[in-house]
Formats: sequence, C-alpha cells, structure tokens
Amino acid sequence: MKVIAWLAGIGTLVAGGFYMIVSLNRWEWNRALFFGLIVLIAEVALATGLVLRRLTRLEYRIRRPVDPVVADALRETRPPSPDRFEWLRDATQRPNVFITFLIGGGVILSAGAWVVDRVAQKTSSPVGEQKLARQLSGISYPSGGLLLDDVTVLAQEVPGANDDQIRWLLRRAPHQ
Amino acid sequence: MTWARLGKIALAVVGLGIGVVGVLALREATLSTHEAVDARETRLVLSGETKGGEENQTLSEMVEAQVLTCRLEVESDLAGPIERLGDGRYRAVLVPALDDSNQRQFRGCLEDWVIDHVRLDVEQLDQIR
Repeated sequence: MKVIAWLAGIGTLVAGGFYMIVSLNRWEWNRALFFGLIVLIAEVALATGLVLRRLTRLEYRIRRPVDPVVADALRETRPPSPDRFEWLRDATQRPNVFITFLIGGGVILSAGAWVVDRVAQKTSSPVGEQKLARQLSGISYPSGGLLLDDVTVLAQEVPGANDDQIRWLLRRAPHQ
Repeated sequence: MTWARLGKIALAVVGLGIGVVGVLALREATLSTHEAVDARETRLVLSGETKGGEENQTLSEMVEAQVLTCRLEVESDLAGPIERLGDGRYRAVLVPALDDSNQRQFRGCLEDWVIDHVRLDVEQLDQIR
C-alpha cells in the first residue's frame, strides 16, 4: 500500500512537470499554471511523507526495548563521574578567581539584602505598629481615667504615696 | 579519487547540462520574436465543444468570446464575422497575417483554458497570400 502511494505521488509529480513544460511550450499559460499547482501539491505531499517516514524511524528506535545484557554491561563499564568541583577545592588553597567571585558575590548579596531591609523597614513598621495598637486597645486604660473612690483619694495624702506615675494614671495634678 | 566519485561528478555535470539546455530551449520556445510576413491574411478553422455551461449560453457565443479575447494577444484583427460551418466548427480570417510567433501564441491561447465550460481545438491556422 505504501509503495502504491509513493509511486502515485512520484508519478503525479513527473506527469505534472511534463505537462507543465509541454503547456509552456504551447503557450498555454492557464494549463501550465494548473499543472504547476499539481506539481507543487505532489512535491509537498512527497516531502511530508519523507519527513514523516524519518520521524517514524526515530520513534521506532526510541521505543525499541533495551537488551538487559547490554544495559548491564554498559552500567558496569560506566566511567566514574568527573569531579566537577575540583577547581573549587584548589581555589580554597590559593587566592585566585574563586576569591574574586566570592567577594563580588558577597558584595552583591549584601547590597541586595540592604535594599530589601530598607524597603521592608519603610513598609512593614507602620503597618506593624498599627496592628499592635489595635491589639493593645483591648487592655488599655479608659481615656477619661479611672473612677476614684474616697479611699483612693485619701490614699494620695498618705506619706510615701507621692508617685508621679499613679498621679498620671489617676489624671491628677502633681502633688504640691 | 575513486571511480565511483568520478562517476557521481560526471552524472552531476550531465544533469546540470541537461537542465541548462532545457531551460534555454524553453526560453527560446516561449520568447515572442516578430518578423515580417509576406502573406496577406491568416485563416483560422477550429472546432469547439461545451460541457456544463449555462443554459442560455450557446457554443457560438463562447467561441466568439474566446476568439476575441485571444485576438487581443496578437497584432491582427478579425476581418469579418466568425462563420459557423456546422457540427461545432467555425472559421475566421485575421488581417494582417500572423507571423510564426504570433501563430503559436494565438493557437496556444485558443486551446488554453480561458473561458469556463468550453474547449477549442484549432484545426487549421494558415497564411493566405
């Protein structure tokens, strides 16, 4: 079936090209254009078929099951992994390009951290303070001061009870 | 250099030569080159057939339309009306006579797919002295 399809495509291409040249030779431009279109279609179809055939071969190679004996032999004879960080160990023994990278990277990281810190400071502190104020409002003293009973008022006159903090709490003037 | 490689090179050279000669021949065949003609007029006899055309369009109208269209591609004009010879055949006379290049161009246009549903076949295209 595939052979028939390939032969049909090639035959169409050859016949179309032949009649295109014949039509050109006879000054029949519309016929030449028509056969040229046939040639173009056949050419595209054949090219597509060739590409698909190549892709199918690749797919078959990929999907073909692996022989376990071959796989074991390859695994056993696998070369050791190269030590890709050998240069790093050497670099720690003497000041070379690694130090430059280390210092440069540190400077860049520090600069980035400083920028992040400044931005966070400018943005998070006010928000955090507002949040803390809302949380503390539940345990704050009443704005008008505490209601005082007679005992408390008389206690202010007690010697040794002259405390500025208590007076501020009671919204009282400093004791004279 | 191996014989196989030499053979491939020879084959490529031959293919290139055939391609160049073919393109040059096609160029020569499709190039319009005019020359003086001794004849006085050119006589055209053609046969036509129509298939799948509109119901009210006759073969004579289609033949006349295609001949007039193709006449614009050459330097000659129709000397009179197109005669109907019967059995799908027609005759016309063009003046002045067509030279060889114009004859090929005129024949090619008449036998080309210019108008839908009609196909013409040039039976005679002669110069008359």
